Amino acid sequence: MRNIALGRYMPLKSIVNDMDPRAKLVILFVLMIAIFIPAGFWGYLPIALFILAALKLSKLSISFAMRSVKPMLFMMFFLTVINVLVVKTGVLWFQLGWFTIYSDAVIQTAYIIIRLTLMIILTTILTATTKPLDLTLGIEKLLKPLEAVGVPAHIVAMMISIALRFIPTLIEETQRIMNAQASRGVDLENGTLKEKITAVLALIVPLFVSAFDRADQLANAMEARGYDPNKTRTRYKTLKMANADYAGMFLAVAVLLLNIVLWKTGL
Amino acid sequence: MDAIRVENVEFSYDGETDVINGMSFAIPKGSYTTIIGHNGSGKSTIAKLLNGLLEAKSGNIEILGQKLTLENLQSIRDSIGIVFQNPDNQFIGSTVADDIAFGLENHCVPTEQMQQIIEESARKVGMEKYLDAEPANLSGGQKQRVAIAGLLAVSPDIIVFDESTSMLDPQGKASINAQIKELNKMKDKTIVSITHDMDEVAQSEHVIVLQKGKAVLEGTPKEIFANDKLLQEMGLDVPFALKASKAFQKAGMIKEDCLNLADVVEALCPSK
Repeated sequence: MRNIALGRYMPLKSIVNDMDPRAKLVILFVLMIAIFIPAGFWGYLPIALFILAALKLSKLSISFAMRSVKPMLFMMFFLTVINVLVVKTGVLWFQLGWFTIYSDAVIQTAYIIIRLTLMIILTTILTATTKPLDLTLGIEKLLKPLEAVGVPAHIVAMMISIALRFIPTLIEETQRIMNAQASRGVDLENGTLKEKITAVLALIVPLFVSAFDRADQLANAMEARGYDPNKTRTRYKTLKMANADYAGMFLAVAVLLLNIVLWKTGL
Repeated sequence: MDAIRVENVEFSYDGETDVINGMSFAIPKGSYTTIIGHNGSGKSTIAKLLNGLLEAKSGNIEILGQKLTLENLQSIRDSIGIVFQNPDNQFIGSTVADDIAFGLENHCVPTEQMQQIIEESARKVGMEKYLDAEPANLSGGQKQRVAIAGLLAVSPDIIVFDESTSMLDPQGKASINAQIKELNKMKDKTIVSITHDMDEVAQSEHVIVLQKGKAVLEGTPKEIFANDKLLQEMGLDVPFALKASKAFQKAGMIKEDCLNLADVVEALCPSK
């Protein structure tokens, strides 16, 4: 679990860490659109340059970014195999008996892999430089205008932040239940599949019971402290955009426009 | 005026058996009252009834002279704060500062004033160095102190401790009890503590004993513990100091009942 880079916050001191989470979310969104604009291989160059600059500024290493892609390698390999077997258009590049590789298969796969890699690295930069709670606050503020059309931005943000708050508590609880069940002879590691499923049940049922109990007590505690989801509340943490945020968003939009131009002119 | 007045309250969870069965008591303003009773006596239920987390089937509950109804539920909750039993399940924020801020956010305190209030209330419970700490890195006692700070920030007139020390180690228990004593010294708060800890009961000014959903005994700790036979029948303990002083009396070494150990020592070997 320790080596998973995807989605982990890295408490580094950098310009990107200090940026407004809203700006980072906007940049991510704009670049995601840019990635999906079919501007040819050259279109990925400005995006890749932007990502490299962001990595440099956030003091994250390239190997960290590459590690985040690792869990997806299997899927990429799988995609390649499927594409080569299914796509039979374009120029014939390779033939060995019944086995053929066409140019379109290779090019399409390359597109998908580049897009996936860019998206994963972008998301990793966001989650590695932003505390989960700031991210929640950013999402809440960005969704705020949608409250007028009935999107419960505050409630969603509260749900996410409570879920994040209770992850360590529930992990600890899981460990405790595992120990308690192990001391009663439940073996979670060995045995046939059927035995393992029974053993996992002995873990999941008490975990759920206690999670519901916690939820009930937490709801009581929140209500007792005057929480009402439909009332207006003030906020302790506020967000403020600085120059770096505007610059970042401007650059991201510039990259997007460049890609649109590349696509429309067909360069 | 009484801080809390409970009159003929009845309540049942399942609609059949009454957990609270015609309970009546009054808690004077500014006092430190403990509520004791065996499991199933309705101790924790009454805490939830006081601030409207549960609704009584019949009877009256008055908080600071105001009758508890659905309409004034919010204003009643502003004047009564509860510290619950489980330290983890009442820690809402992801850091100490965020958790103290939670109540302030609900009370629409302006953002500019929050930082100062948070620091002040954290200082009152000795947690000012841990403002950025996450709950996973705090002990149970520290988490309960944060819960107290969260209440002090919004400054309710009444603070109810609902078995707040029962999940803590002896050290945490002692620190919370000291905190409660400290709060009582300020005298502007009414403190109600629902507890199993007889040594805490001995510290308090007023004791209410519950049995089977009724308040059966009321008085000062001394008066209550004079009925030690009755308490034992109810499955309740007496403070260790009282047991010790009774044993010393049997041996003829001291003359009267003592409720805390310092008094026992004083009676055994007077300092003057």
